[in-house]
Amino acid sequence: MLSYLRTFVSRIRATFQHANTDRELGAEVQSHLEMLAQRFRSQGMCEEEARCAARRQFGGVTQLKEDLHERRGLPQLEIVWRDVCYALRQLRNAPGFTAAAVLTLALGIGANTAVFAVVDAVVFRPLPYPEPDRLVSFASWVTRGTPHADDLSYPNFFDFRSGNRVFEHLVCYRGEEFSISGHGEAIHVDGEIVSWDLFPLLRVQLELGRSFLPAEEKPGTHVAVLSHELWQNYFGGDRNVVGQGVTINGRTFTIVGVAPRDFRFPVDNPSVQLWSTLAEDAAASEYHPLTEQRGARTLSVIARLKDGVTVEQARAQMDSIAAALAAQYPDENKNRASTYILPELERVAGDSRRSMFVLMAAVFLLLLIACANIASLVLARSVEREREVAVRAALGASRLIVMRQLFTEGLVLGLLGSLAGLLLASACLRVFLPLAADSIPRISLAVVDRRVLLFSIALALFTSVLFSLAPALQVAKVDLVRSLKEGARSITGGRERLRSVLVSGQIALGLMLLSAAGFLIAAFVQLERRDLGFKPDPVLTFNLDLPQGQYNTAKGIRFSEQLLERLRALPGVQSAGAGWPLPMQGNQVSVSFDIEERRVAQPDRPRSDMAIVTPGYFHTLGIALLEGRDFTDRDDAQAPPVLVVNQAFADKFFPGERALGKRIEPGASNGDGAKLREIVGIVGNAKQSPGGTAPDPIYYFPFKQLSWGLGSIVLRTAVPPRSEESAARAVVASLDRRIPVYQVRTMEELSARAMAPPRFLMLLVGSFAVIALLLIAIGLYGVLAYSVIRRTPEIGTRIALGASRSAVLSMVIQRAARLVFAGLFVGLAGAIAESYFLRTLLYGVMGVQPEGTSLLFLASGAIVIASGMAAYLPARRAASIDVMQALRTE
Amino acid sequence: MDIPKELCYLPLRTPKEDTMPDGKSEVLQGTLDLLVLKTLEALNPLHGYGIARRIEQISEDLFRLHEGTVCAALLRLSQKGWVSSKWGASENNRKARFYSLTKAGRKQLCRETTNWERVAGVIARLLQAAPQR
Repeated sequence: MLSYLRTFVSRIRATFQHANTDRELGAEVQSHLEMLAQRFRSQGMCEEEARCAARRQFGGVTQLKEDLHERRGLPQLEIVWRDVCYALRQLRNAPGFTAAAVLTLALGIGANTAVFAVVDAVVFRPLPYPEPDRLVSFASWVTRGTPHADDLSYPNFFDFRSGNRVFEHLVCYRGEEFSISGHGEAIHVDGEIVSWDLFPLLRVQLELGRSFLPAEEKPGTHVAVLSHELWQNYFGGDRNVVGQGVTINGRTFTIVGVAPRDFRFPVDNPSVQLWSTLAEDAAASEYHPLTEQRGARTLSVIARLKDGVTVEQARAQMDSIAAALAAQYPDENKNRASTYILPELERVAGDSRRSMFVLMAAVFLLLLIACANIASLVLARSVEREREVAVRAALGASRLIVMRQLFTEGLVLGLLGSLAGLLLASACLRVFLPLAADSIPRISLAVVDRRVLLFSIALALFTSVLFSLAPALQVAKVDLVRSLKEGARSITGGRERLRSVLVSGQIALGLMLLSAAGFLIAAFVQLERRDLGFKPDPVLTFNLDLPQGQYNTAKGIRFSEQLLERLRALPGVQSAGAGWPLPMQGNQVSVSFDIEERRVAQPDRPRSDMAIVTPGYFHTLGIALLEGRDFTDRDDAQAPPVLVVNQAFADKFFPGERALGKRIEPGASNGDGAKLREIVGIVGNAKQSPGGTAPDPIYYFPFKQLSWGLGSIVLRTAVPPRSEESAARAVVASLDRRIPVYQVRTMEELSARAMAPPRFLMLLVGSFAVIALLLIAIGLYGVLAYSVIRRTPEIGTRIALGASRSAVLSMVIQRAARLVFAGLFVGLAGAIAESYFLRTLLYGVMGVQPEGTSLLFLASGAIVIASGMAAYLPARRAASIDVMQALRTE
Repeated sequence: MDIPKELCYLPLRTPKEDTMPDGKSEVLQGTLDLLVLKTLEALNPLHGYGIARRIEQISEDLFRLHEGTVCAALLRLSQKGWVSSKWGASENNRKARFYSLTKAGRKQLCRETTNWERVAGVIARLLQAAPQR
């Protein structure tokens, strides 16, 4: 065994050192011959005789050299090379065929490669930290209602952290807005508030300075780590920035470090530029510190498993802590007695995993359809090449050799196609990626890299085997004598049958792809058509940060009043308001409440999404006031506590009752304890979450009574909204120059962005379906056109014997119809099975469930129409055959 | 054979006749490797020409071979890692490639020797066995 291996290795080595070893061999033979000649000379032969005798005794030099050459290298490799050259010659001699095949392959492989690049970036690519597969996401598991994972509160997190024995580190994080001033213009950056050991957990070395210390979680410390980009752009790459004080959110922070270039955390939010410790949330202020509120669940958690600990073991230990916490703090933790641990990579991809799966399946169908087309082309061509094959076989080529040649040709085609496909893929990525923007995590990382390259080569191999299989098998059956004697026509029957099967199979696959695309389009239309409950146009929105250090609650309220007043006074602005979260943004905060008439214990209280808005918010966004009144400027801290709810909220929590005037006690407060609040108004259902058609119950607090943050400013304008941007910026600057304005967008843009993932999916699968339809039409046309040409004499005879032109026309159309309906019949079974699967999946991804049967009819209809057009041309040609000419060719 | 009175050389790999015409034995396929290895064991290192001479000498001119086949055998053996080679100068200062036995080659020689002895023993016993009447 070992000696075989050695032989193989030395052969490979020799293959690449041909010239060298050939020369050595020549030298060796030469010296041997000379020594022999020398011997004969010493026996008394003359020079000439001696050389001849030496040659004789040595044996055939050339034979030996050839023999050794074959033994030394890998003759197979050379044969492959010869086959490749031959295949290239063949392809060059048939430019039409080659162009059609390479183009079709490029479409199939290109689309697959592009999708793989996307799926790889979103789903498969490891996280950009050392030993990423040990990173997990950690959450509470809520058993009430539909069981789901939920964020942690600080006290719970601290208890998990101190009881932890299974994780190297357990780190909490939450997003926060920061504004930096003092170095020129004030800017806004997205940041994260994290526990101290984020960088040790990720095993990331900072580029400059140090990471956080445990003591820096204590209230009163203000430290920050900057991203490389922020350091470069805002601080000019000044190395002395470390250790300096910088004004952030109106307080002095010490910059302790700078993260390395391209460092991202969280991975799915590339806009984060600054990290600070949870000391921010522990600071004493007007509110109860977040770190002491067990019910305030705002934290995501990432952890690194200790060596040798499995996810199951970790879950078991964390579950035991969760159970203890549930027993100890039933008010907050009763329904949270277990935990949820997921590989961090899976959390990052999240819901997109399923969309990506649909995309992959769809594009794979497209590839199969393309392969069928090429197989059909190759089959048609192999008829023409029958004689060539027969001659080669007659000259001694074995079937195996001929088949090998065919596979080589397939492989060459496949590689050419994959090369063209790669170019197409990178073009596709450039066109399609902007459509998804940043709405799908990590999608912007999709590039044609080494992995993608390997994938496309693998695809080339796969497809070339697929489409060479049918022709190669045909060759195996070729009857030599007959094909030499009678030419090509005698045995084309089998091939035509095979091509017909291919066309029908294509149609079956195409129906599945088309109906999937139909489902996605229908779902998207359903989403677009639903009543959003607000009027997004023409509304301008923007955000601003009130630095906490300089704005307490009272100052913040005063600022908001002045700001809105001045904005409303702007020419072109019809109304203004502020609120958080805006419709279609999905970043909802859910808070439990107690209904005055039906009081229950804390863990059993109902909960619902909430929002905080200023007077004028509903009017500005065009959310209808159905009953009662809007908030007014008089609904402040001194006035009786009030709420506005939407219709869905009223229907859900007060079914069959009048919600107006009812009083509920929400858990959210300004830090002065929960209060009973009266419902003073009922508004229409504005769509809060981007998915689904069902209205989201939500209740609204007046900003002056719950001042957690001003949120986004909304302006309804009489002019194009963008044109108000500079005026709005000027108004903010006139109040306070240190306040950065950011994320200036129209409401239209925001809604479109929320719809980006379904639109992306729909556009991609839709374009695959269109390409598939085209390929099917081409495939059918090819088969029919070929058979009409082949049957020209027969058709001529029929016409000569009295068949009408219309009878000939219908004969061809009937053949097409048989192929198409056979395909549709098979495809329908697949499509129905697929529709069940798609419906559940779409409901999960988009929250809609389009009706299935009509879509199947539509998809079938599209195929029938495309096929009809493809069949008409050959049919007409058959009907217009010139009888005399047709008969003469016989 | 069209050259009369000449020794006849037959290629080893495709024996066409059972015996050499003038009573010389053809080297059995496969045994050449053994001969070469054995020679190298005795005379280490040696070039192809030397090996051919040695085999000729030991067989007292009963074995004749096309000496090219020795070259082929040497290549085969070095591919298998049983011999290694180095360029050097021959006795009369000609450039030649010297082969020597490797450790693996020594083991292989051992194996082939026992194997050969076993086969030869069986054949000898067969030939000596008295015909049964």
